[in-house]
Amino acid sequence: MTDVTLAVVLPLLGAFLLPLTAHRGLHWLGMLLGPALLALAALLLFATWTAFESPYAIALGGFAPPLGITFYVDLLGLLFALAVPLTSLLLWPGGSDEAAIRQQSLTLLLAAALTGMALSGDLFNLYVFYELAAVASYGLAASSATGPAFVAAFRFLLISALGSVVTLLGIALIYFKTGTLNLAHLATLSERLADPQGLAAFAMLLIGFGVKAELFPVNAWVPEVYAATGKRVAALLAGLASKLAVLAVVRILLLVFPHDEARQLLLLLGTLGVLSGELAAWQARDVTRMLAWSSIGQLGVVLVAFSLPGKAGLIAGVTVAMHHLVVKSALFLLADRWGGAVDRLKGAATASPLGAALFVLFALSLLGLPPLPGFWSKYLVLSGLAEAGSGMQHLALGVILLGTVIEGGYLLRIITRLYAAPERDIVPPAHRFPNLFASGLLALLLVAGAILIDPLWQGLNTLAASATDTQVYVQTVLGGKGITR
Amino acid sequence: MHWAELLAELTLMPLVAFIVGLFMVLMMRKIGARLQRRIGPPLLQPLYDIVKLFGKHTQTSHGLLHEFGIVMAVGGYVAAETLLPVPGMNGIAEKGGMITLLYLTMIPSLGLALGVGQCANPNGSIGISRALTAMLAYDIPFVIVIAGVAMHFGTTNLVDVVAQQQAGGIETWGATQMPLLALAGLFALQGMLGKQPFEIYVAPAEIATGPMVEMGGKFLGGLFVMQCFQLYTASVLYVTLFLGGGENWVSFLAKSFAVLVLPISVAFLFPRYRTEDVLTMLWKWPVILGLLGLVFVGS
Amino acid sequence: MIGALDMLLLAALAAIPLSALFATTRSGRWLLVAAYAVQFGLLIMLQPATAAHSALSFQLLGNAVGWQMDALGWYFAVITIGSAGFAAAYAAGEWSEVNGRLGLSLRWLYAGLQINVLAMLLLLASGDFVSLFIGWELTSWAGLILMLLAGGDAIRASLRYIVYAIAGGMTVFAGLVITQAAVGSLQFDALHAAAPSLGTGRLWAIALLFILGFSVKMASMPFHLWQAPAYAYSPAPGSSFLGSISARMGLFGIALVAIKLIGLAQLDRLSLVTDLVDLRGLLTWVAVFTAILPTFVAMRQNDARLLLGWHGVGQGGYMLLGVIIADRLGSAGGLLHVFNHATYQAILLMAVFAVIHRTGTADLNRLGGLVTRMPLTFLAMLIGIIGLAGLPPMNGFVSKWMIYRALIVDGHPLLFVATVISTLGTVLSVYKLLHNTFLGQLRLEHEQIHEAPWSMTVPMLLLCVVVFVTGAAPGLVLQYVAAAQQAIGLEPVRYILGGIESPTGSLDMLWITAILFAGFGIGAVLFYLIGGRSRRVHQLDNYAGGHFLTADVRYQYSDNFYAGLMHRIRPWYRGSFEWTESALVSALGAASTLARGFFEQANPAQWVLVGTTVIMTWVMWYALG
Repeated sequence: MTDVTLAVVLPLLGAFLLPLTAHRGLHWLGMLLGPALLALAALLLFATWTAFESPYAIALGGFAPPLGITFYVDLLGLLFALAVPLTSLLLWPGGSDEAAIRQQSLTLLLAAALTGMALSGDLFNLYVFYELAAVASYGLAASSATGPAFVAAFRFLLISALGSVVTLLGIALIYFKTGTLNLAHLATLSERLADPQGLAAFAMLLIGFGVKAELFPVNAWVPEVYAATGKRVAALLAGLASKLAVLAVVRILLLVFPHDEARQLLLLLGTLGVLSGELAAWQARDVTRMLAWSSIGQLGVVLVAFSLPGKAGLIAGVTVAMHHLVVKSALFLLADRWGGAVDRLKGAATASPLGAALFVLFALSLLGLPPLPGFWSKYLVLSGLAEAGSGMQHLALGVILLGTVIEGGYLLRIITRLYAAPERDIVPPAHRFPNLFASGLLALLLVAGAILIDPLWQGLNTLAASATDTQVYVQTVLGGKGITR
Repeated sequence: MHWAELLAELTLMPLVAFIVGLFMVLMMRKIGARLQRRIGPPLLQPLYDIVKLFGKHTQTSHGLLHEFGIVMAVGGYVAAETLLPVPGMNGIAEKGGMITLLYLTMIPSLGLALGVGQCANPNGSIGISRALTAMLAYDIPFVIVIAGVAMHFGTTNLVDVVAQQQAGGIETWGATQMPLLALAGLFALQGMLGKQPFEIYVAPAEIATGPMVEMGGKFLGGLFVMQCFQLYTASVLYVTLFLGGGENWVSFLAKSFAVLVLPISVAFLFPRYRTEDVLTMLWKWPVILGLLGLVFVGS
Repeated sequence: MIGALDMLLLAALAAIPLSALFATTRSGRWLLVAAYAVQFGLLIMLQPATAAHSALSFQLLGNAVGWQMDALGWYFAVITIGSAGFAAAYAAGEWSEVNGRLGLSLRWLYAGLQINVLAMLLLLASGDFVSLFIGWELTSWAGLILMLLAGGDAIRASLRYIVYAIAGGMTVFAGLVITQAAVGSLQFDALHAAAPSLGTGRLWAIALLFILGFSVKMASMPFHLWQAPAYAYSPAPGSSFLGSISARMGLFGIALVAIKLIGLAQLDRLSLVTDLVDLRGLLTWVAVFTAILPTFVAMRQNDARLLLGWHGVGQGGYMLLGVIIADRLGSAGGLLHVFNHATYQAILLMAVFAVIHRTGTADLNRLGGLVTRMPLTFLAMLIGIIGLAGLPPMNGFVSKWMIYRALIVDGHPLLFVATVISTLGTVLSVYKLLHNTFLGQLRLEHEQIHEAPWSMTVPMLLLCVVVFVTGAAPGLVLQYVAAAQQAIGLEPVRYILGGIESPTGSLDMLWITAILFAGFGIGAVLFYLIGGRSRRVHQLDNYAGGHFLTADVRYQYSDNFYAGLMHRIRPWYRGSFEWTESALVSALGAASTLARGFFEQANPAQWVLVGTTVIMTWVMWYALG
């Protein structure tokens, strides 16, 4: 059995070692270190994935739960954990100057924190990793070192810091009511939280974790940050970081707050997110802001999906989240040199035919053109909503469909510009090869997803079955089956 | 039916229509003359006119389509007559019915419009634009009438319509059963004949007779023939729908001529409406009458 | 085991790369025309009587997804491949050479056409709701390829189209998931079996969502605004293909889901306000208004392509009307009109594009007198407009006649009158089209124009033959229509070769056509054999008002052609739909500004506090309530 904790430790270590390589003569080491560590982490996680039989818990530092710090390894966590090093690797900021090294180091830090979030089995631990990720994000948001980037990062910092305070309050409230922060232990005590106080605690957690999950209404930092930073960072934050924050919310929802009211709150905020994000994107004049707002809308759909009860909700949520991870990262990569007004994109397809074609592919999948995976993810959400069938869910269904129509309008506005004749022969620059390569890989992944949709869905079924089974979680962690280190 | 018999009918029906039409033109002129205290033309004057027009020395053609338009105008009516049952002869009326007849009678108008169009005379084009507008005006009440009659008799087959009326006698005639529709039909008839007050598309003083502006010699002769057919078709269709058709030739001809007396008299007593007033007029009263009539048919 | 349907789909799929490969040379394009012939042959080999199943079937996310083609789909598929083949042939010769030099991407054009055909075949061969939706969406997006190719005005029209199309698609999507929730499966049979036991609420939702979604594609009112410009500005083959068949996919959807799966008996359960109005009644009026209003919009157009585009919208109303009336005559008329419309609309658009090819414009105020220059194109357009106007002896008359008859027999005199109003409007409008293009004054700059090349005229004239033959002998098509009717569970029409035999009024087009031509013959004999000889004058030798007109004076009567009519009815054109659409867009813009305002405020962190407060309030409210 391989040690998944290394997947957290290694990048963390790398994050601190990397700045040391900034000295002359060690550049080659610095160039290699980050990718190597991430690749190693990915390999470790992949090995764990292939060898996976049943969920298990790891008690760090030798203290048995509920007292010690716990890692919980199941398919859901592993899937998201695996996505972290892979995506980070794909979006790795190259270069060997000082700024680049700082950014690389922050990326490693972010990867470590996010992997930690995916595997954490303890509420406080989750919070710590979340904070770590947040710190890394601030740095990344400001990494392009321009005026707008600093302003945007500061906005982000303000919201995020306030959100963290609220989260901490929520955690305190939970601790006050139950006396524990271990998720498994909390799962056994979830009835104690089935009152307004408990719900208030959930709401506070939601607001705090929601900042990164682009949850309405604490997502106002999103468009500025994505527009001002490098697109690789935007892709990392929009594609990856947001998903892990969502995962944290989902874990809490599944284990600690399996109440209808909590789901309804999530559904409501998700629906509002879809509506506000898509509406704002409709009038966006520049490509990155448009994608940022679109991403808010998409994350709204993710949250709506996870608000669905039972296995169906989890399957739908994971599908939408993973699809969005792939598609939004790729779209941000492709938009790297397409900043500024949409109208300036005229003729971009002549300069970069492959890039434009990939953009169209991802946009179509985002809109849910069958048989691309975007269709199936939307299908899972919508059929879940229709099945659940209360008024609020039908409303959400309508809003998601309306959002798709609006999305179609603005994405097609970009696409038609791409293929329009260039104005005064000014053609936007072609894509850089690494971006094109990375989005090409993601496109292959997307197409593979379209072909292998049924096996993937079968796999998700198994994943969801174990992830939604609270009993398994509780018994694994508390039943003494944990591995102590 | 034996094929020879059918062939004879198909030949005779247009021929009869033409001859009767000639007399209808004569009647029209006579009535006009009497209203204007004149004696009017002699018996064969319409025929003389046609012979004269065909025999003219100067025959200006503006191209093949100009000529073919006249062919279509005459030929379309020749064909249409075989769909209109007369006493003792049904022709191919059972294979068409009133809707087909309605649309078949648009073919001559289309032919005329094509011919005029080729002439490249703006007055002609204006005339056609007005004529088509007038068609839109009178056909709306007319199709209301057609719909009512078809509903009432439960068929679109003109032969059946006639048979039903003749079997039941005068109280089953369309006019007795559906007086409102019959009245609306009279309005439509006036428009269909293109007589005052609905003759803006000819308007000799304004657009130099409109569609006819480039028509001379046998072109005009063809249109003359077309007018004979037009008078005949309109009146016989009205007789068929509302007055029990023809039990025999005497009553058939009597009814057919009688139907025309009123529109023709009106024509000579009225000035003309402007195009938009034609529309207002025909879309108002006959349509209201027709819709009321439909209500009665439906109930 | 690969069946005939798989062969067809494979052929259509294989032809896409071939199209991209071969579209740039003349012989290559003729090869592609041959590829359509092959597809057509494969389609003919499918037995229309029984449903042909595809070996292609998947188990996707718990749904069995498969393809099969019954007589209904087959009928539409024949029209689809036929339209594409004629469009491809029309463009194969000089048209492509000229337009390719002007910068049109021939590879995209031909590949786009073939992608459309494949998408439509997939839709027409759908065997369950998943494959239906796949086909539906592919068809919508494939159409976009052809629309976008022209650039310029086409871009705006395409953007508008795609928003409508996605809205329609998402409505269908909603119908799909609600069906699944209601009947527990996405198989066609499941809905068909469960429909009688569904509650009216559920049934309303399902029927309405599907019908609304499909109506967007048909451009039924009030979703009619997008279609005419979107189809009109596409390059010639695209325009003729889209105008012929694309919108009819919506009709296919309605026939399949509403008529076949939900069924007439269930549709009749759906009534509003104590049985006074029901869904079908409502739809018949929607159809009638779709037939009338766009026709009168068409009449005002000055661009020949737009004029035809608007008529395409209007004719869709007839088809919907026939299918919704759904008795044996009406539904046959509606379905037959799909074929008829495809044939004459293709001719008309081809003729208009032939004129554009030679003169460079479709502006009805910049043409005229071309009959002597382009006689074959004129002939084609003449036959086309007789078909479109629905006059005998062309095929458009037959299908309209069947619908009229159905309306009268079923006791809908008002609907009948309304459809005739639409036809009359069409007559006026198409005469204007013909007159302003081919009749009247020839412009000096067009004096040297020649007939369109044979590669363009031959397809048009072949289609003219089809229009004429199927007009004279509608039984040729009616046999397939009858099979399609049976496939969707309707009573098949009783037809004869010449038309319809019915105790309450028959139609035998063989006789009508024969007698009409005999009449023309007599007319010709009278005209040419009797009387003096006529003398032809030159086309430019004209006078008016007793004054000779020189050719450089413009006296063509074309603009505001129906001045008198417009004087009366212009106040009725209120542009309410355009207004509503732009109001909706403005409202969306306002909502968008509001949403942006939220994200762009100076101090977003307060929203953490506001959010917390609101949620706490909600919690408190929840605690108390």
